Amino acid sequence: MAEVPAAVSGGWAPVAAGLLGTLAVAAALLDGALAGRAAGVRSGMGRSAGEVARLLRQRRRTTVAADRLLWRIGGAGLLVMALMIVTVVPLGRWTLFDLDVGVVWVNALDVLAWAFVWLTGWGANSAYALVGGYRFLAHGLAYELPLMFALVAPAVAASSLRVGEVAAAQQGLWFVVWMPVAFVVYCLGVVAIAVWGPFSPALGRDVAGGVTAELSGVDRLLFLAGRYALLAAGAAFAVPMFLGGGAGPLLPAWAWVLVKATVLLAGLVWLRRRVPALRPDVFMEVGWLVLLPAVLLQDLLVAVVVIGG
Amino acid sequence: MGVSGALARLATRHAHLLVIEVPGHWLTRVAVERQAGVRGWRLAVSPADADILAVCGSPGPELALVVANLWEQLPGPRARIDVAAPELVAAALDQAEATLRDTPRQRRDSAGRDGPGRDEAPGGDAALAHGSEDRDGLEMDVLHVRLGPVLPDWPAGLVLRTHLHGDLIVEAQAGVVDVGQGGLAGGAPVVGGDTSGEARRPDAGELAAQRCDNVARLLALAGWSDAAGLARAIRDHLLIGERSAATTELARLRRRVRRSWLLRWSLRRVGLLPSDELARLGLAPNLTGDVWDRLNGMLDRATIAAGGPAGVAARGPAGVAAGGPTGVAAGVPVTPPAAVASVVSGWDVATARLIVASLDIAALGVVTDG
Repeated sequence: MAEVPAAVSGGWAPVAAGLLGTLAVAAALLDGALAGRAAGVRSGMGRSAGEVARLLRQRRRTTVAADRLLWRIGGAGLLVMALMIVTVVPLGRWTLFDLDVGVVWVNALDVLAWAFVWLTGWGANSAYALVGGYRFLAHGLAYELPLMFALVAPAVAASSLRVGEVAAAQQGLWFVVWMPVAFVVYCLGVVAIAVWGPFSPALGRDVAGGVTAELSGVDRLLFLAGRYALLAAGAAFAVPMFLGGGAGPLLPAWAWVLVKATVLLAGLVWLRRRVPALRPDVFMEVGWLVLLPAVLLQDLLVAVVVIGG
Repeated sequence: MGVSGALARLATRHAHLLVIEVPGHWLTRVAVERQAGVRGWRLAVSPADADILAVCGSPGPELALVVANLWEQLPGPRARIDVAAPELVAAALDQAEATLRDTPRQRRDSAGRDGPGRDEAPGGDAALAHGSEDRDGLEMDVLHVRLGPVLPDWPAGLVLRTHLHGDLIVEAQAGVVDVGQGGLAGGAPVVGGDTSGEARRPDAGELAAQRCDNVARLLALAGWSDAAGLARAIRDHLLIGERSAATTELARLRRRVRRSWLLRWSLRRVGLLPSDELARLGLAPNLTGDVWDRLNGMLDRATIAAGGPAGVAARGPAGVAAGGPTGVAAGVPVTPPAAVASVVSGWDVATARLIVASLDIAALGVVTDG
């Protein structure tokens, strides 16, 4: 039986940040390689390094009558959000922050994406960035409630909001097996808060990059890094919630957490290039008429099983 | 110097270009896109995202003003190149690379710009946002936004002056930059196509390539980057005369597009144009249906044109290219800008962009009604 993870000292926080950073860099490298392959360029892996060099060398800029403070807060916020999410993700036997309402903590943080992406779009005082911001909010209206109810399912099944206990409750049967709807909806939510792939109309080409239209230099770097970090943090959080935490043969628990997170992350990165974008107005219908009822039924099923069993 | 030199080299290898097509120079633009891709460079979506401003063709006075304005918005390090013809692209890109890599020169450029070290983007979009009005009893800000002439995947030279409620286009007027600088097609003044050389008729391969270019734009706007990349690759095959590779790939692209239920679901019911509406607006009759139908129509026309001139006569059944004037024999169809303005009104910006891209614009007519 896996024990419930114990909180370690805050001095380990840089290690957690480093692991998140490594996952995010791996995601960026993979994305660069996939983009390079699609474009028929050899140096696919070097793309992300080149992009970082380019943005470090580039000057920051501002626009006329920009709301500088809010704009910069939005741009840096995604990265902060991702870091705060991983504080409650147990790495095998250790966790940074053994919060008794860890699931709610993550849920509260993912809502912050609304503020940060919107502020980045709004602060620039540019029409295209603003339109990008609107689009993100429209997506948010459709994905947020299903995402919340998706997080409810594992918590109900484990009868706990403590992330470590949710992971420990999956001995024998991972939650992803008997709550696949909640898992899929959760993954959609992660992709959405990272403004990734099908949820990227907020950064659309049609509005000159939308939210990012006016970002340059280190500001753009922070925003883009924040997206990768969010994707990585979302994949990491899925491990204790749906993928059995550190459970697995041979390898130690902490290694299994990293392996599972990496595999899920790779899947999410790969998804980006494979599917067209989901138009916010169309996705609104799906969110409310399909995803929300489906995930509520999933919750009901889980609740019945828990009470019956 | 060592570190900053290495940084400069690495950064320059991954430069982003903002490509501006002067109407009539699409072949030059395509050559820039292709050769930039070979170098591992990427296309920028906005001036803030760009290191290189590549102007394809020589802009008229109106577009020159826009270009100057955009140039000021490039954050820097920056380089500007003017490419007059497809064969000059390689040299121009080399020159841009050298300029970007030249750190002392970039430092001087940066020091010479307005603002104490920090740049202001003059003439930014702020000037466009003003006023507020009532709509359905709701207090709504009305934004006056000019879409174009420089936007990713946007018809060259087209400008839509829109009134936006949020991101809903409530009203639009169309214009074309530098009217009078364009060429002639069928005796009427037009803007677009390729007029860089002689006023010649494009051959079938070129027609097919242009359809593929328009398909790539629509797919890119729909957010499907892989398929858009494939369409661009087909376009490039067609332009360098690799007809058989192009037709194989084109068949693959058609299959992929037809099979994507997500794309179909996203493009269905958008921008429905019945045939009487098309006739009223002066648009080609083969543009009936919604954006999804028109995407498939474009792919069909590309396939027919790629089959060669003989193939058009032999394999152009009524069901495929339903009487459109887009066959090789008919030359390039001309899209009236007023029609574009009319079809986007009432849609949000995202859908409006899809609709514009679905019109398969080859050349724009000159606005006569102001």
